Amino acid sequence: MLVSLFYLYVAVGQSLSQVLAALFDSRVLGALTISVASAFLVGGLAVAIGVPVAYFMAFNEFRGKETLEMLLIDMPQTFPPVTEGLVYLLMLGHFGLAYTFPAVIIAKFYVSAPFTLSFLTRRFRELKGDGYDVIARSLGARTRHVLNWVMIPLSARDLLGGFSLTWARAMGELAATLVFAGAIPWQTEIIPTLVFLTSRNAPAVAMAASVIAETLSLVALFSFRLFARGRKWLT
Amino acid sequence: MAYLSVEGLVKRYGDAKIIDSLNISVNVQETMVVMGPSGCGKTTLLLMILGAIKADEGEIIINDRVVNDLPIEERGIGYVPQDFGLFPHLTVSENIGFGLRIRTFPEAEKSRIIDSLLETVDLKGMSERKPRQLSGGQKQRVALARALAIGPSLLLLDEPLSSVDEATKEHVRRGLKDTLTQTKVTAVCVVHDPEDAFVLGDRIAVMHGGRIIQCDTPNHLLKAPNDNVVRKLIASMYVLGRDGSIRNSQ
Repeated sequence: MLVSLFYLYVAVGQSLSQVLAALFDSRVLGALTISVASAFLVGGLAVAIGVPVAYFMAFNEFRGKETLEMLLIDMPQTFPPVTEGLVYLLMLGHFGLAYTFPAVIIAKFYVSAPFTLSFLTRRFRELKGDGYDVIARSLGARTRHVLNWVMIPLSARDLLGGFSLTWARAMGELAATLVFAGAIPWQTEIIPTLVFLTSRNAPAVAMAASVIAETLSLVALFSFRLFARGRKWLT
Repeated sequence: MAYLSVEGLVKRYGDAKIIDSLNISVNVQETMVVMGPSGCGKTTLLLMILGAIKADEGEIIINDRVVNDLPIEERGIGYVPQDFGLFPHLTVSENIGFGLRIRTFPEAEKSRIIDSLLETVDLKGMSERKPRQLSGGQKQRVALARALAIGPSLLLLDEPLSSVDEATKEHVRRGLKDTLTQTKVTAVCVVHDPEDAFVLGDRIAVMHGGRIIQCDTPNHLLKAPNDNVVRKLIASMYVLGRDGSIRNSQ
């Protein structure tokens, strides 16, 4: 991983002027805008949906819970995204969603949201084990109080860590997005699809897009490490 | 007059009966200590009264009302868990005021109650500290103040002295007894250390194998243990001095 990263930066250094010019190419800027905006939207949706789902999974016992957990967390991370893209195309294409910005969000959400969900479910289970929900309820707390005043504040670093990994995964998603959303500049084209489509014909553009993608991934990775370690200021 | 009555309570985990047809009643303003060895079902009993664990059989009656199906948040019971369970992201005063915030008390009234409780538990000047900045005894007192802040009908304490270091235990134990006496709250306190039981309890219920095998005042329990388990428990830990004082034999 480090070798490939180093190689990329050396390669960029060798064609610096071309890559610098490509960085301000309209298509690259469009792909960057769509990538970053969709990744933030996916991260936000993952938190908004992940919090109540994780709470439900952590605090309820029911038949089929393990299967549901496998479907929500494990399956999206192990099944080939390209086939999921095809399924979305066949299933949702009739509703006019194919090759649109919402299609980018749907495709990315499927593979990226499980990071946030798994982080939160694990953390909520830890807090349940510590008995915080019982203590809060004994003081009169309803579910909304337990969630907003205890669970979420005590899960801040897991929430931010899950968000940063979801964001990074969403930034790198290619296959499902390409199949379901296509690669229409300034509409559905994202950095990974741009790299894929330009790597042969316009390598400078592909390199510029790759540098952006790798740099942003590094930022996300360091953010995750920071959130994972930085406890004191979060509690 | 019984404020809390537990009648024929049963809890099973698989084939094992953790609580076995247990009966106990606690009078108004009385501190009932439930004492017994580890694993005898004391904490399970406490959590069933609280509402965190459902009973398989039997009734829990608080102030003449069967509360078996009442959710925890509607029982009005103050609870001090074994490790005190202070919310680590909140300050001492925010912890104490947690229940008042839910009840949307006016800010001035909330501050007055918190200040009064800080004084009761001898923690004035520590209101802005986080739980990680407190000693075991101080944490216990914050947890007690937090439970008392909601004006509970009943107070449940699970091993309130087990996380307190030996050097300050006597002081903390005496402080807890004074607070219970001063607030006149009906309380059930689970302990495994007989010394704690004899200092804290108006009556002591000795639990063994999921049942209460004797429930009596401390003096009566010492003078007339009615079961070998009770006899051994007391004999193993204590000798009675000539002046009638209880001394630890160890």
